[in-house]
Amino acid sequence: MTSRTTQDKDTVLKLENISLSFGGVNALTNISFDVKEHEIRSIIGPNGAGKSSMLNVINGVYHPQAGSIYFRGEKRKQMNPAQAARQGIARTFQNIALFKGMTVLDNIMTGRNTQMKSGFISNAIWVGKARDEEELNRQKVEEVIDFLEIQHIRKTPVGKLPYGLQKRVELARALAAEPSLLLLDEPMAGMNVEEKQDMCRFILEVNQQYGVTTVLIEHDMGVVMDISDRVVVLDYGKKIGDGLPDDVKNNPEVISAYLGTNH
Amino acid sequence: MQFFIEIVISGILSGLMYSLVALGFVLIFKASGVLNFAQGAMVYSAALAVVGFIDYGLPMWLAVIAAFIFMVIVGICTEKFVLGKLVNQPPITLFMATIGLSFFLDGLSPILFGNEVRPIDLGIVDEPIQSVMELTGIGISKLDLFSSGIIILLVILLALLFQYTKVGRALRAVADDHQAALSLGIPLENIWAIVWAIAGFVALVAGLLWGSRNGVQFALSLTALKALPVLILGGFTSVPGAIVGGIIIGVSEKLAEIYIPPVLQDAFGGNFGGIEGWFPYIFALVFLLVRPEGLFGEKHIDRV
Amino acid sequence: MLYREAGQFKTSYKSDSQIFPILQDRIGMVILIAIAAIGVPLFASEYWLNAILIPFLIFSLAALGLNFLTGYAGQLSLGSAAFMAIGAYATYNFQLRIEGIPFPISFLLGGLSAAFVGVLFGLPSLRIKGFYLAVATLAAQFFVVWCLTKFPWFSNNSSSGVISAQTLSLFGFTFDTPASKYLLVLVIVSGLALLGKNLVRSSTGRSWMAVRDMDVAAEVIGIPLMKTKLLAFAISSFYCGIAGALYAYCYLGSVEPDGFSLDMSFKILFMVIIGGVGSILGNFLGAAFILLLPIFLDIALPFISQILHLPIPSSVVSHIQLMVFGSLIIFFLIVEPHGLARLWQISKEKLRLWPFPH
Repeated sequence: MTSRTTQDKDTVLKLENISLSFGGVNALTNISFDVKEHEIRSIIGPNGAGKSSMLNVINGVYHPQAGSIYFRGEKRKQMNPAQAARQGIARTFQNIALFKGMTVLDNIMTGRNTQMKSGFISNAIWVGKARDEEELNRQKVEEVIDFLEIQHIRKTPVGKLPYGLQKRVELARALAAEPSLLLLDEPMAGMNVEEKQDMCRFILEVNQQYGVTTVLIEHDMGVVMDISDRVVVLDYGKKIGDGLPDDVKNNPEVISAYLGTNH
Repeated sequence: MQFFIEIVISGILSGLMYSLVALGFVLIFKASGVLNFAQGAMVYSAALAVVGFIDYGLPMWLAVIAAFIFMVIVGICTEKFVLGKLVNQPPITLFMATIGLSFFLDGLSPILFGNEVRPIDLGIVDEPIQSVMELTGIGISKLDLFSSGIIILLVILLALLFQYTKVGRALRAVADDHQAALSLGIPLENIWAIVWAIAGFVALVAGLLWGSRNGVQFALSLTALKALPVLILGGFTSVPGAIVGGIIIGVSEKLAEIYIPPVLQDAFGGNFGGIEGWFPYIFALVFLLVRPEGLFGEKHIDRV
Repeated sequence: MLYREAGQFKTSYKSDSQIFPILQDRIGMVILIAIAAIGVPLFASEYWLNAILIPFLIFSLAALGLNFLTGYAGQLSLGSAAFMAIGAYATYNFQLRIEGIPFPISFLLGGLSAAFVGVLFGLPSLRIKGFYLAVATLAAQFFVVWCLTKFPWFSNNSSSGVISAQTLSLFGFTFDTPASKYLLVLVIVSGLALLGKNLVRSSTGRSWMAVRDMDVAAEVIGIPLMKTKLLAFAISSFYCGIAGALYAYCYLGSVEPDGFSLDMSFKILFMVIIGGVGSILGNFLGAAFILLLPIFLDIALPFISQILHLPIPSSVVSHIQLMVFGSLIIFFLIVEPHGLARLWQISKEKLRLWPFPH
């Protein structure tokens, strides 16, 4: 467990001139920014600005037509999401992408899939290698469950949970993978004040206790200004602001595009 | 050469018959998103109803009307008791429910209408057209040609229905977006009942045409299976696609049946007939690998 | 008050992940195995063994195979019977053409042959989903049966592709009585069921269910879609292949390709749906249900016709069977999509509380 040090300024992720379009519709145009190790970087912007598309590009779901991505200094070739996951990138989704047919525990265990090495034959035999590995991973998962305070629902099928808890389970699943880069797509959407406070606390703790670099899409300005180290602002697929929260807050372009009404 | 042309023409004509069954699928899928596996059973039931009513003493024209009413009732009951209860289920569940429905109809109809093989007499014979035969030596069945004419007429009527009538517009709206249609005050249940009635009508036409060609027998129910490759080629939501797909399947199937067995026989000896049984599926499969959405279907983009 | 968990606390993750966490379940299982392995062969009649129990076990195995693919991994397949056929015919050929090969090896090779073909026909699943995939499996169903019928090599040049299973013997012991065949089938099916249960509660099972529930999300968390889907096809076809071999060797004795028809594939699919998608127990329940239903109707219908004074000709019985099948499918899909297995689970939960209402 590394503690947060503001001196750690290695660049984890660098995006250069990323352009993405879907059959004529430009989702992202010439976006460049970077994400430093151990920081919380927020991406904000009005609806439709391209924030989710940006995350999708980072973890390989969408492939940009132009531009380069550097992950830990190395230029990244086109990759699929599974490869991104194996490189240590985990994410949550705007519309919850949990596996509705499984329990909370099983969902979080799938997050450990990249660490589990047993092939299907060891799994079929179970006794020995597979069972030991299952126990080991169960321990890790239980740590995450304790951390996010969801012990009481671990055997509940995910489909039966209220929205706020589902979001927390999704975060748990992403954390279970022990990622080095965490992408959160509107983790607090649809939550009430208490749930938001809990979620904020979790995100901060994850960042401070485990040192996980976090890229966060969020609409709630209060949250963004409070917990982010730096902010990127998108509007209509273009970058219109980039820097410390206070600088961005006072940027006239940003204000006119987005911060007209404060939450 | 003229043998080849004969095969192709016969393939086009039999392909159109597949298109007819596929049409029923397309209608229901367009309006409700359900892939109705029971379409074949509906063709069978409609044909059985006609010959059954004739056996009960009704004249032909009355039997056809009675059969249509029967199909409409079947459609309404299906909507009420089966699909209506499965409204928010995933498509695979609905598909399996229609498999159950097809079994149910396959059992019910012979009980109501008897299960001996009986012919349907439309007054047109399955014989080559004399004049064409004498001129070119190519045999084109009168019945097949008549059927194709009916099918094309039906497709034109349906196209007109969808484009120019109020009901047609409502059907298209429902097919596009259920929620939006609801919010416009379009009564969803009535629409679906109408769609099933139209599909039932299409099944009836198919039953009459197929029945006059081969007699009314259980094999009719299996025509649903042949329609699946047609749907894959033509897309699940396209009426012209069903036609084009049907023609392609019909022609390729016949060509395969004629030209592949001799090759295999030379290589391995023995008899290699029956290619028609699997060729359309392998053909559709290969096609899917190249173009997963069919010739006319819409490309599906997964939003995350 | 018999079925209580009170006092049964799990103190390790190992014990939490047991197959039968509740003591009473474990006792029940032991009793069941004792009855199945000892009681049945001693006391059951030949009719029961040959016509009911052996096919029950065989189809439970086939349903289990299909359940892996359709129930857990979410890939719809309408071609299970074709893979059974491959298993039967491959085993036959290995037994026939390799001198002195022990039959368990032929069975294994037969299963692997089915698995190989299964992977081939599963390759399209990487590009196509849902109904389209169903058509690919239909292609397998029709094409495989046609091949086995038309290429004389598969059936050792017999007409219309009929093969007669050789007698099975191992270390001098010959499996030629109903009881011995029953025990052989029981051992194989139970063993494979246990392996299957282990498989589905491990990371393999979770990967399958993830792909079934939301494959895009599964990919994002690092689950390799191609490997996962193809593994499901392979294992599913393997199980169906073994079931097919058992079908030929321990049940019918001689089979032909047309016997492994689309009809059988549908029956197996129904066993999975009615028994319970995504459950191991469900396959046994579903197989029992589907196999016993015709027998039940054969007995019940004449009885009903007597009571109602309504003559029901025997030809109608098969039609009524179709109607009952169809309505039951629809009934289960509406009322309890998770099938008999879920009903069993619910009754066990009620039993935990008995005699209290809640």
